[in-house]
Amino acid sequence: MIRKRTSRLLIAPAILAASALAFTACSADEGGNGSTGNEPAPVEGGTLTIYTTAEDMSFDPATSQSLAITSLGLNARRLTAWKVSPDAATEVIPDLATDTGTPSDDGKTWTFTLKDGLTFEDGTPITSEAVKFGLERSFATELSGGLSYHKAVLEGAEDYHGPFDGQHLDSIETPDDKTIVFHLNSAYGDFPWVASTPAFAPVPLESGDPASYAQAPVASGPYAVESYKAGNEIVMKKNPEWDPETDEARTGGPDEIVFKLAQDASVVAQSLIADREDSKNSFLATFVPPAQLVQAQNDPKVGERLVTSGPGALEYLALNTESEQLQDPKVREAIEYAVDKTAYLTAKGGEISGDYASTLITPGIAGREEYSLFGDDPAGDVEKAKELLAEANATDLDLRLVVRDDQVAAAEAIQQGLGKADIDVTIQTLDSAAWSAEIPAGDGTGYDLTLSSWQPDIPSASANIQPLFASDQIGGGNYNLARYSNPDVDAAIDAALAITDPDEANAAWVEIDKQIMADAPVVPLIYSRNSFLHGSGIADFEIGEFPSYPNYLTVSLAE
Amino acid sequence: MSGLLRAIRGIAVLFVVVALTYAIFYLGPADPALAMCGKPCSPENLEAAREFMGFSDPWWQQMLTFMGGIFTGRSFGSAGVAIECAAPCLGYSFQMHQSVTSLIIERFPVSVSVALGAIVLQTIVGVGLGALAARKQGTVLDRAITGGAVFAASAPSYVVGLLLLLVFAFKLNLMPSGDYVPLTQDPVRWATHLVLPWITLAILNGAVYARLVRSSMIEQLGLDYARTSRAAGLGERRIDGYALRNLALPVMTLTALDVGALLGGTVITERVFGLPGMGLLLIGATGTVDLPIIVGTTLFSAALIVIANLVADLLGPLLDRRLAAPRTALRTPRQKVTNP
Repeated sequence: MIRKRTSRLLIAPAILAASALAFTACSADEGGNGSTGNEPAPVEGGTLTIYTTAEDMSFDPATSQSLAITSLGLNARRLTAWKVSPDAATEVIPDLATDTGTPSDDGKTWTFTLKDGLTFEDGTPITSEAVKFGLERSFATELSGGLSYHKAVLEGAEDYHGPFDGQHLDSIETPDDKTIVFHLNSAYGDFPWVASTPAFAPVPLESGDPASYAQAPVASGPYAVESYKAGNEIVMKKNPEWDPETDEARTGGPDEIVFKLAQDASVVAQSLIADREDSKNSFLATFVPPAQLVQAQNDPKVGERLVTSGPGALEYLALNTESEQLQDPKVREAIEYAVDKTAYLTAKGGEISGDYASTLITPGIAGREEYSLFGDDPAGDVEKAKELLAEANATDLDLRLVVRDDQVAAAEAIQQGLGKADIDVTIQTLDSAAWSAEIPAGDGTGYDLTLSSWQPDIPSASANIQPLFASDQIGGGNYNLARYSNPDVDAAIDAALAITDPDEANAAWVEIDKQIMADAPVVPLIYSRNSFLHGSGIADFEIGEFPSYPNYLTVSLAE
Repeated sequence: MSGLLRAIRGIAVLFVVVALTYAIFYLGPADPALAMCGKPCSPENLEAAREFMGFSDPWWQQMLTFMGGIFTGRSFGSAGVAIECAAPCLGYSFQMHQSVTSLIIERFPVSVSVALGAIVLQTIVGVGLGALAARKQGTVLDRAITGGAVFAASAPSYVVGLLLLLVFAFKLNLMPSGDYVPLTQDPVRWATHLVLPWITLAILNGAVYARLVRSSMIEQLGLDYARTSRAAGLGERRIDGYALRNLALPVMTLTALDVGALLGGTVITERVFGLPGMGLLLIGATGTVDLPIIVGTTLFSAALIVIANLVADLLGPLLDRRLAAPRTALRTPRQKVTNP
């Protein structure tokens, strides 16, 4: 399941469906990074078609969970943007703003200045007021559902319910048309990254009915929505008011971009493998399904049109720390040793569908440190596990592993590994919606173990750790699936979030990574790789180190 | 049964369908408000989303509100961004940002296009092959047709559709690989884009017709009237004509039900061929727990089937005069037992 092009993703965006992840592989370039090789040069103009299995796509920044480099980024600029590259960690760069924000000494006030000459598609100037309005809209209940990291940090946000009843959020100041100032609850070092999330896109004050803005947004980026057929097709045309001189993140190559929604991934992948005339100038935004992946790898004509990402999202086994049998850290440590990651990777399609994981911070995130607390053998250490279980006096474990119905093979791999250490595992499968309701949104009594996957929404170590391990992220649809609660870690997370110096912050997150792993709330399994297919008429199809998805903003047609 | 009684029965069926759909989804674990909560999701946001979407009431109350909305329209939320859903309101999809009624209006022509061609094709092919098999009963041809029909009827439509695509679109490059072109935009491209879906459905459903027609036809050909006709020297073609005429009623009943079902959407066929019809709408909504769409389209599809049934009931007497006769006339006169 691709993050954030799909409304499906709106439910559990960071949870990547196992079926889509299965059998990802790297044929075009075994180096792993999704670079384009000796492809034809990019040209201006033409129609780019993007196929996706997503049912719908919101172009309302308030309700969008789109990554900065995918669909919404074509239409809406934000204060900051991402610079992604196949061989460097992703950087935050200015977008509408002249820089990535200036913090006050205490890190609680952030000031941005807009570039000169920015206009919406209708020619009206983009003002700081429009950015403020965009953010205020995201607080309206009617327009909720988007990425909400800003809601936790802006002062006074908890009591604010949107601008439509005439109220304004005082912690966002607009002293003049070009300046916007944010007052935060506490120091927040990742604010430049948060400013790249969808809600930081400008929305004109006179933008009509808020309920239908998702289908008829006013473009600040290179493409304006021309027609919108929900669940079917979205046509975007080049926005003549967009000035490439002001934009480092987007190239605006094609004249027209068409999204084809609700597609069957297998059929589109077949069409791309055959490189049919009608799919030459297109790519599939969904992972290549397993059968077509094998076919594409073995078909010499496909060659470099199959692009595989580097290791990305963390797939992990969450150990429910509230479960009676798993409260003893020794028991959890035993599971760390007992799990056979090699069996898991095999179930996922083999060595080339990911790399073995041992840390919480994922590859491609600046400052990451590689380490392994529980031995270096991905196959595990059964003897050590048995020893620990004997010490903990827990020799008759019987655990419930609750997984989505597309993860049965992976769950069986876990079951077998734990079985060698005499830990009984009962697998229970749920459909994806039921899993979301029982596990992230449930009360934690229904499972001992579960499988999940997490790709951060922003390329910062905080986004690897805080959503999965802060105690306020337990239940209610959030993703602390281990239901891990450690006051020391909570305090350390809060302290690290407040650090505004990136290097200092990175070092703090690495320490937290180790601190959490010492409690063994999850077993990191693999960092998964995603594979994508494009037609022969596509140039500059790149996947950066983060995220493991193609950068839509720079794709062009080829000569 | 009078027309009024039939209509009442139909409405009762629809009521039960709505109640069941609601009950199934509300007793199930999925929470449709999660999709509107945002990420990260705070408990306050989740509660606010639930309330705004109208999911905080008990399920039966939601059901009544939903039914009321069909006649009077509804609105969601308050303050500056109330969402209006005009009558007939079949609900509002917060994920698609559109009322279910307008989504159905958009999608229905696609399903109609798929259904019409498929119905024509499957009836012609099914009846033709069935009659042929009955006529050649016991021959290799008959075995081939019956065997083929069993195979076709049991093949998953996904496989049939994908196979047709592989052969005709990807290998031979004769046909487009999917997508829908409206009839009003370009009738020729409309048809070429629909040929493969039509064939897919005709293969699957036509097999059912072929089996029905074959067995009924064999039965008919063995009946007294056929034997008498044959004895009287009538040609086999005439007799076939009589037999087929008698098959019109069961075939028509089957067709009417198929029309209802096909108009309601063909999930797999629409998915494989990328046709944005009712089936695709429904299956997408099931995946995203978009409850308003699930309830609205289920009700709409059920209504189509009820109407199709009603039409079949009403057309029956036109095809078979015996059904038109008043009941009393059909009653066998009481036999008088007389002693010789």
